[in-house]
Parts: sequence; structure tokens; C-alpha cells
Amino acid sequence: MVAVDEEARPGPSRRTVLQGAGLLVALTGVAGLGAAGCASPEGPDELEGPLTAARSDAAAASAAAAAFPELAARMAPLADARRAHADALAAEIRRARPDRAPAVDAPPPTVPAPASAAAAVRALRGSLESARQAAGTVALTTASYRCGLLASVAASCAGLGVVLA
Amino acid sequence: MTTPTPTPTPSPAPSLDDDLQGAVLAALGTEHAAVWVYGLVSAFVPASTASTVTAAALAHRERRDAVVALLARTGVTPPPGAAAYRPPSPVTDAASAAALAAVAEDDVAAAWRAVAERTEPDTGGELRGLALDALTAAATTSVTWRGLAGRTPLVPAFPGDGTAT
Repeated sequence: MVAVDEEARPGPSRRTVLQGAGLLVALTGVAGLGAAGCASPEGPDELEGPLTAARSDAAAASAAAAAFPELAARMAPLADARRAHADALAAEIRRARPDRAPAVDAPPPTVPAPASAAAAVRALRGSLESARQAAGTVALTTASYRCGLLASVAASCAGLGVVLA
Repeated sequence: MTTPTPTPTPSPAPSLDDDLQGAVLAALGTEHAAVWVYGLVSAFVPASTASTVTAAALAHRERRDAVVALLARTGVTPPPGAAAYRPPSPVTDAASAAALAAVAEDDVAAAWRAVAERTEPDTGGELRGLALDALTAAATTSVTWRGLAGRTPLVPAFPGDGTAT
């Protein structure tokens, strides 16, 4: 963390402020949990689209790394990140919408083998951009306790796209 | 490279409770710090990253100014940036300068994620747009700095959630 030089400006340290903020994040999460438990929404959860996209990207990146070893160094971290996104999104759907467990537990998509390394990179860049937009759109309208997760997923997809550029 | 997110037309004034206002002020502090950091690191990082430094510094100044304007509409006069900041480790070469830039971006991401988690879907559109923009810019810009600093992964799965390495 970049701290204010206290000799240049006395006052409470930012670390103190941020520690307080962390506690409040935890409290907000608990409050959101209770509120979600009272609702009885119907239809798919809004996170199911981002979940499917994350699983698809993880599978595609793994397949590309296996088919084209020269891509492995870039594809492995991409697959790891998208798998982490999928795990977090699935956990949130299971928590808020137990009735959607069948959709969350659907088998992972089968990915056709890419025709070439360039085609694999191109396809993933496109799907990451779509995923960035979709997660960002949900982030702007979703409940408070989901907004941070979706914004982080969108930002991560943007960064992963840069690595493939 | 940053990917701007459209910000909704500013409403008269977003409602800021004390908790959200504190988070916004903390985010503003990280933007001030990032502007200062880029002034320092620009003297150390390779010339090939000059355009990245320029674009990142501009993005932080613009977001800083947007937050100051937003706060002004709510009747809050934020404190100015500090005269100086204390890097977590000395900046002596390109790698240590890049490491500092990455830390500054991590700070920005964490602070804006905290803002996002405190916004309501019906009133938080403007702040959510800024938060999404900030997290996205941090994740994309950090690819350059993490690469130069030797940090992995180049893209955290959840920018701003405090677990990024």
C-alpha cells in the first residue's frame, strides 16, 4: 500500500481507515445474506450467464494450452482465473438461489478443438470481451453485495484480454 | 490501455451516507496517491512504457476530478492530496518503480471495490460506473507493471478484493 507520508501530513493512517472499511464490508455481506434469504425470485439467476461464460473460457483456455504448447504460458493463468470466477459465481448462486442448483451443477461445456493457435487466441479475446461487458452490465444493476464481485470479474476479464492482445 | 465505461449523466447529487462517503473519500485518496506515484515512477520505468504512464496518470487525474465534482454536488469539500507519500519499498530502478505502480493500482482497485459494495442499485449508478471504470483500468494497466516487476499472475482473478498477490 502506498501510505501518506505522515510527516508531510499528520492524521490517522490510511491503514486504520482501510481496516475499518474491511469490517464494514463483512457486515454488509451478512446483511445482504439475510435480505436474499427472504426473497423468492423466479427464473434464472442473473449470474448464470457469467458463470457459463467463465466455465466455457476456462475449458477453451485449457484446450488451447493442450493443443498448442506455445500458448500454455498464457493460457494456464487465464484458465485459472476463469475457473476462480466460475467457482465464486457458482457459490453465490448456490447461496442465494438453492433452487437453481441444477443449473449450477450442469456438466461443463465441451469445447471444440481450435483450428490454430491464432484462432484460439482470437476466439478467447472475443469471449473475454463479451464476458467483460456482461459482468459489467450486471454490476451496474445488481444488489450491493454482488456488485463488487461482478465488477472484479469484469475488470479481470479486461486484464486477461490485454494479456492475449 | 484502459477501457472507459460510459458514466450515466450526472444526477443532481447521489445520496451518500457516512459509510459510502468514507469509502468514496478513501478512493479519492488512492487516486491522489496514484497520481503522485506516476510522477515518481516515470523517471525510472523504460521509455517503452511512457505512453502507459501518461495514459494511466491522466486516467487517475480524471477520476480524481470526477470524484471531487461529485462530492461538491453533495456539499462535501474533500481534503487535497498529501504533499508526499511513502512507498512500501524504495524505488531505485525500473523493476522497483513498476512494483510501486502495481501497488498503487492495487490500492485504487481495493478502494473502488469498497465503494461499489456500498452503493445501491437504484441510486449508485454514477459511483458504480466510476468503480467499474477504476477496477477495469487498474487490471489492464497492472499487466504492464506486474510484468516488469516480475509479479504473477499478471491479472488477479478478483481485482480489489484484497487477496491479490
